[in-house]
Amino acid sequence: MPVYALEIIVVALGILMLMLDAFAKLEDKRSIAWLGMLGLIVVFGLLFRVEMPDAEAAKASFWNFYSPTGGLSLYFKGIAVLTTIIVLIMAADHSPVIVSNTANPEPGAHPQAGLGEFFALPLFACAGLMWMASANNLVSIFVSLELVTITFYVLVAYMRRNVGSLEAGVKYLILGALSTGFLVYGFAWLFGITGSMDLGEIKTALADSSVNPTAALFAFALILVAMAFKVGAAPFHMWVPDVYQGAPTPITAFLSVGSKAAGFVVFIRLSGMFLSSEFLVGKVSMILGVIAVLTLLIGNLVAIPQKNFKRLLAYSSIAHAGFLIMALACSPKVSKAGESLSPTNVIAFYLGAYLLMTLLAFLVMTTVRRRVSGEDFDAYKGLAKRSPFLAFALLISMASLAGIPLTAGFFGKLFVFTLAVQDSQWVLLTVGLIGAAAGFYYYLKIVASMYLEKAEGSETVANYAISIPARIAMIILIVAIIAAGVMPNLIFGLL
Amino acid sequence: MPFFFYFFSALALIGGIGVVVYRNPVTAAFSMIVSFLGLAALFILLNAYLVGILQILVYAGAIMVLFLFIIMLLDVREETGKSFPFTAIAGAGTIGVGFIALLIVVLTKSDIGAISAPVLAVGDAATSDVHQIGIKLFSEYWFPIQIVGILLLVATVGVVVLSKKELK
Repeated sequence: MPVYALEIIVVALGILMLMLDAFAKLEDKRSIAWLGMLGLIVVFGLLFRVEMPDAEAAKASFWNFYSPTGGLSLYFKGIAVLTTIIVLIMAADHSPVIVSNTANPEPGAHPQAGLGEFFALPLFACAGLMWMASANNLVSIFVSLELVTITFYVLVAYMRRNVGSLEAGVKYLILGALSTGFLVYGFAWLFGITGSMDLGEIKTALADSSVNPTAALFAFALILVAMAFKVGAAPFHMWVPDVYQGAPTPITAFLSVGSKAAGFVVFIRLSGMFLSSEFLVGKVSMILGVIAVLTLLIGNLVAIPQKNFKRLLAYSSIAHAGFLIMALACSPKVSKAGESLSPTNVIAFYLGAYLLMTLLAFLVMTTVRRRVSGEDFDAYKGLAKRSPFLAFALLISMASLAGIPLTAGFFGKLFVFTLAVQDSQWVLLTVGLIGAAAGFYYYLKIVASMYLEKAEGSETVANYAISIPARIAMIILIVAIIAAGVMPNLIFGLL
Repeated sequence: MPFFFYFFSALALIGGIGVVVYRNPVTAAFSMIVSFLGLAALFILLNAYLVGILQILVYAGAIMVLFLFIIMLLDVREETGKSFPFTAIAGAGTIGVGFIALLIVVLTKSDIGAISAPVLAVGDAATSDVHQIGIKLFSEYWFPIQIVGILLLVATVGVVVLSKKELK
């Protein structure tokens, strides 16, 4: 199976789901989500059997836009597919909330009107994320990024009868459009300086001594604004808490894992071009270091007083972006030394671990949301009494997010700190350690309230109905977090 | 011809400022048309005839007419009495002025004359702009075009879902 067939299958599946929604008389529209989920599981299996083009075939114009090499791009395609599978499971579980916030009560309409598109649109976003993972040209980076972003504009504002969701949609749309403007302007400068759209050619041109450092740094700054927006790094993180809180929970999970991971692939590729030039590397890694310090401080310290679980995860996602950029800022010297622990590998590992633990937290959140409205901390008080399994799943997720040993998150942070030590980035290391320590406090606060506090009100024992796919997904994620926390080579083996 | 460049740039900028400053939505929309005309002229000065004409036909023509229709149909009133807090204006002003200052510094320091703009639309002069761009788009650049096609599908579905009065 040629590698480009994967995205075609995903898009075809998305169109099939739209058609089923429009023309098939379905009793329960959730079957569309199950179809999409099964299809994506097949695509995930196919990821392991793809063929890369040989040298002769790779000369076709298509491969100017689509990286003909596997490895990292296949890994990130896998992240996109896995995220979408779990997002579909959550979306199916979350469907009563979606329906009550979208449908117009009208006699004769399907009781789940407007739900089919909610299941189909993530497939198109997934295809966009997969294209981003192997984009090797400014043009293909831009169009796939826009495909993802525009799908997210729709999905974030999907609960159109809910003020919070609409507010999130408008904020995301305006700020996203602004950041796209910066990205295009940066690309234009880059094209003006180097005369090429191809990442490889730009890299060679930037490494040449004739390149004008001021113009190149300006192009980098413009691109950095857009990329920092996409991955939620300070000082361009303002949208994250509001959008995460307002968006439907499955979409928040999609944003915080899928969009961030694909954003980081593009970020690695784009900043890699500047970092490999010896004339620019010093300033570029200094700028990245400043962004990392700001993001770590803001993400971790502002997370401490949060009272809403979704908002907490939003700040946690900013904080994790800080750790990832910290690894990126360590890049240059370390990768020259030829260590096996390259920044790219560390970022890939961290994002893999981040996927497991964040999606687990969101799965628990959607399940709890079916019984209790809202996502405030109060809903989680005494959860261990009401549903030991959910509480345990959240415990594992929070422990891993905090970075406790024997979980995947521990190795993620450990590798980042190792990079910082090897590169003697002491300021970054100190700020990173402060951030990690703050993380222990706010993540474990939730765990403590689940296990030690009593629930308010009369509801003591309630059957939290966990749907079968959600239960299977949670068990797989728990096992994967612990497995990767004991044997990190499991994830490195996939790279 | 630097005179025409400065003239049309000024036109585009004045139009852009008008969009923000005028409180009457119809006047703001017309300022946007002025800005688009200035931009189109700039494209034509760069020998990008097709892009310039498209700018006028599609943006100044079709899209702006749609805007005006919507403004008139919805009877959008003039915005009144909405003032922004001082901190917001100061912040926006600092960022705007800072960015322009940065741009001036970069443009003077980066020796922009030495950067030779890459020539894109080559090929034989007998065929028109439209032909050349069309052939490029649908041969070499077919893949990005396909992705844009999917993007349009998503946008269409999204608009229907978000704006339809009664979902079925």
